[in-house]
Amino acid sequence: MTADLFEDDVDLAALAEDLQSDDPQRRRVSVLALSDSGDPEASKLLLSVVRDPDPGVRRQVALGLGTFGGPGDAEGLVALLRDADPGVSQAAAEGLCEIKDADAAPVLVAGLTDASPFVRASLLRGLKELRSALALGPALQALQDEDTEVRIQAVGVIGYLKREDAVPALQAAARDPDPHVRRTAISALGFSRLAGGVATLVRGLADNAWSVREAAAEALGYTKVEGFDPAPLVAALDDAFWQVRLKAVRSLAQLGVREAAPHIARNLDHPEPNLRKEAANGLGHLAHPDTRDILNQAATDPDADVRKNARWALSRLGAA
Amino acid sequence: MALDQLIDGTSEISCDVLVLGGGTAGPMAALKAKQKNPKSKVILLEKANVKRSGAISMGMDGLNNAVIPGHATPEQYVREITIANDGIVDQKPVLKYAERCYSVIEELDRFGIKFQKTENGDFAVKKVHHLGAYVLPMPNGDTVKKALYRQLKRAQLLISNRYMATRLLKGSDGRIAGAIAVNTRTGQFLIIRAKAIILCMGAAGRLGLPASGYLFGTYENAANSGDGYAMAYHAGAKLANLECFQINPLIKDYNGPACAYVAGPFGAYTANNEGNRFIDCDYWSGQMMLEFYTELQSGKGPVFLKLNHLHDSTISEIEDILHKVERPSRGKFHEQRGTDYRAEMIEMHISEIGFCSGHSASGVFVDEFARTTVEGLYAAGDMASVPHSYMLGAFTNGMIAGEHAVEYAAGVSLADIDAEEVTRECERVLAPTKRERGIPPNQIEYKTRRLVNDYLQPPKVPRKYQLAQQRFAEVREDLEQGMLARNAHELLRALEASSILDCADMAAAASLFRTESRWGLYHLRTDYTDRNDADWFCHTLVGKTDGRMTVEKREVQPYVVPIADDEKDLYYRQRTRQADDVAATRIAT
Amino acid sequence: MKVYDRMPLATSYTIVPVEVDDAKCIADKGCTVCVDVCPLDVLRISEITQKAYMAYDECWYCMPCQTDCPTDAVTVNIPYLLK
Repeated sequence: MTADLFEDDVDLAALAEDLQSDDPQRRRVSVLALSDSGDPEASKLLLSVVRDPDPGVRRQVALGLGTFGGPGDAEGLVALLRDADPGVSQAAAEGLCEIKDADAAPVLVAGLTDASPFVRASLLRGLKELRSALALGPALQALQDEDTEVRIQAVGVIGYLKREDAVPALQAAARDPDPHVRRTAISALGFSRLAGGVATLVRGLADNAWSVREAAAEALGYTKVEGFDPAPLVAALDDAFWQVRLKAVRSLAQLGVREAAPHIARNLDHPEPNLRKEAANGLGHLAHPDTRDILNQAATDPDADVRKNARWALSRLGAA
Repeated sequence: MALDQLIDGTSEISCDVLVLGGGTAGPMAALKAKQKNPKSKVILLEKANVKRSGAISMGMDGLNNAVIPGHATPEQYVREITIANDGIVDQKPVLKYAERCYSVIEELDRFGIKFQKTENGDFAVKKVHHLGAYVLPMPNGDTVKKALYRQLKRAQLLISNRYMATRLLKGSDGRIAGAIAVNTRTGQFLIIRAKAIILCMGAAGRLGLPASGYLFGTYENAANSGDGYAMAYHAGAKLANLECFQINPLIKDYNGPACAYVAGPFGAYTANNEGNRFIDCDYWSGQMMLEFYTELQSGKGPVFLKLNHLHDSTISEIEDILHKVERPSRGKFHEQRGTDYRAEMIEMHISEIGFCSGHSASGVFVDEFARTTVEGLYAAGDMASVPHSYMLGAFTNGMIAGEHAVEYAAGVSLADIDAEEVTRECERVLAPTKRERGIPPNQIEYKTRRLVNDYLQPPKVPRKYQLAQQRFAEVREDLEQGMLARNAHELLRALEASSILDCADMAAAASLFRTESRWGLYHLRTDYTDRNDADWFCHTLVGKTDGRMTVEKREVQPYVVPIADDEKDLYYRQRTRQADDVAATRIAT
Repeated sequence: MKVYDRMPLATSYTIVPVEVDDAKCIADKGCTVCVDVCPLDVLRISEITQKAYMAYDECWYCMPCQTDCPTDAVTVNIPYLLK
């Protein structure tokens, strides 16, 4: 009586038989049931059909793998990543990102010599999360890849490892012809305590792509290098893009560069309220007496968040 | 065979820990109970299917309250939650959540749930609030349920789908003894005896009626009809601060979340018709909703979500998240209307009322071990009283409940159940199926919820509340004596209608009891417009005594994280400054 | 006897948001994905066509039925009242 009260223990033998059916739709339904079972034996059955003639069946296998854990999942997904059908390979790529099992790293590294840039990029994306030292060498090599997405993912792998000995490689990537690669590399340098890394970030402030300049302005806020000259960050307060100025304000406040306060204050007149809000907040952190008048004006700003931050900044000035 | 034909039948099983509700807190509770004691028998029961049930059915686009080392401290978080709840907080459960939630984030990360990370692989926490940084986006949050389901499968948990629990059973010694459930497709009964039960049945999100008139077009998952609140009530558990309603900002007509929290870190914000921000308070709270409501009613309304000042690539990034994760039909809604985030602001509104501790504070009263006031009965997630807990709170408190419940179960035997009580309940459940003619459940539900909108929606007017109580009593008579369910599916809706009516009655009773205003819009009374700390610095508890609804006061536990006077003052000053605006609104309404 | 015990029942028509493409649906081969994942339990397999359909107009337009359908047979439309 109680047998059907719970999600059933699946009949693996029957499902295995269905996997051999001539009807691809029946095979697909079998794959669905196997994926839901969570039974390790079902995992082996799924791996047996990664070469099914029907792409729909293969896609279902790609979606189902990952349910079970263990290196079997990774092997199956790598095989499906190479599938000619984009629906299948895309599903496999997504599945690879969900694997957190470090044992899978060698399987992924082994695939990196693949001729397809899609396969290489997807493997690197999967490797990133595993944070495996095994991936460092191949990732450094992949920085030279002709494919942009592969280079972006390679930077990602290196960035996640947070190793100072890889900083020169990230510095090189920050000179990549593609702005996405440069942006990723700049952001990945945020952890570095080395002067060379910081010099690269400063150069990033002059990049011709605003998103790279924004990333550089943000990353500099975390720099811990002694004797860092904030002048380029102060100059970024006049950037053509408010997004860059906003990050410069935040970083200068984080670094406690008090002499930047009057420059920051000029942004309280900017038409973009997000920037005015950040400026008021930054002035609160720096608490520079010369900014009292302009903060008093900002306390009547039409934007509530700007007013609130200005009031807070004034209270900090009062306390100082 | 006719659709969802009713079948006679009753099964009985027993277990150590029974988890009711397979959304967010429930799966985590079951998983943790099983992990802590692999020999224990743990059953997870769900009215829908665990694969895609609960508030996060489709996914979640971010954590709103992640306390991550280096970005916020547990003490700082407890202070903010205390202030945002006007001080009516038992801090211990909040502190416990804050201390344990980071380990849950790490575990969810290992499950394969994707959180936004920096290029160095650290969690990319965003600062939205004035003080701490608590927001962690989940750009691929559509995989939450899938990842969770995989873990349940790996642990080979006993999952029973399509069973709706209707009532809890207690032993003669007052301990929890089990639950009665009914199959939503056949009407067959399942009696489950259990040493401990964890209620994880979600918000009461089908309480108010969306303006579209569409019963299921609610802000919350419409399956969250407050069944857990009703069951806890009938079992004699106390329910805390139910007058602290949930009201949310949303996209008008679509009635789904606006996700300003997601778009905020990118530079988007909630603006009035002049394009300016107007919200002055820091943490999501009733105060924030009052500011929202005030602006809506003023000449500066309506309220909009503003993104059109952002860079094209930034907007694309936001659209990617908002239209794929959590409520993806939102993209379809905008598409149909031709709304372009680049060109125009998106009209927002506020939601119908509900109970949900996930966003406010109304829930079954629990302590720091997720224990309710009934021995052996636990509660977690949106229906338990830990305030502002959101999805991460459901996971974390579910974990706490699961671990404690399985330990408790190991030390007790099954309590006896009363066969007569079981018979009575089965008769109550099946009553709507025994009639030839009668009122469809959806009309009982519509009427209840229409009355909720007419009379209970804040600002709260006592005379309206009394009228509501009279009308609810009339509807209750109709429900008990005239409701008709022709098949198992209609029976499911009939039972939900009964939960909804119970919640409506509790909302009215709790609101009338607290004769002051508190929590901004959530409990804004027209006759007692001010906060009164002298008489009302306390919880209110709704309960059932001798078959009648009662409301009582309960002291707030002494704070474990002191709130400095200047912190309080800062907040109170904000309040005072806005008092004029609020007063103007009251006159206007 | 109360008045509603005498009042006759009627069936009125409605348009439902969930649309199933019968040509793509493989419910006849044993698939029940959309029916399983619906939190409101409003989908069924037709005994006549053996294909999935929306049996009850009680949709939250949450979309797991569309997202999880293995053959892309399901489309969720925004209900008219919300549009």
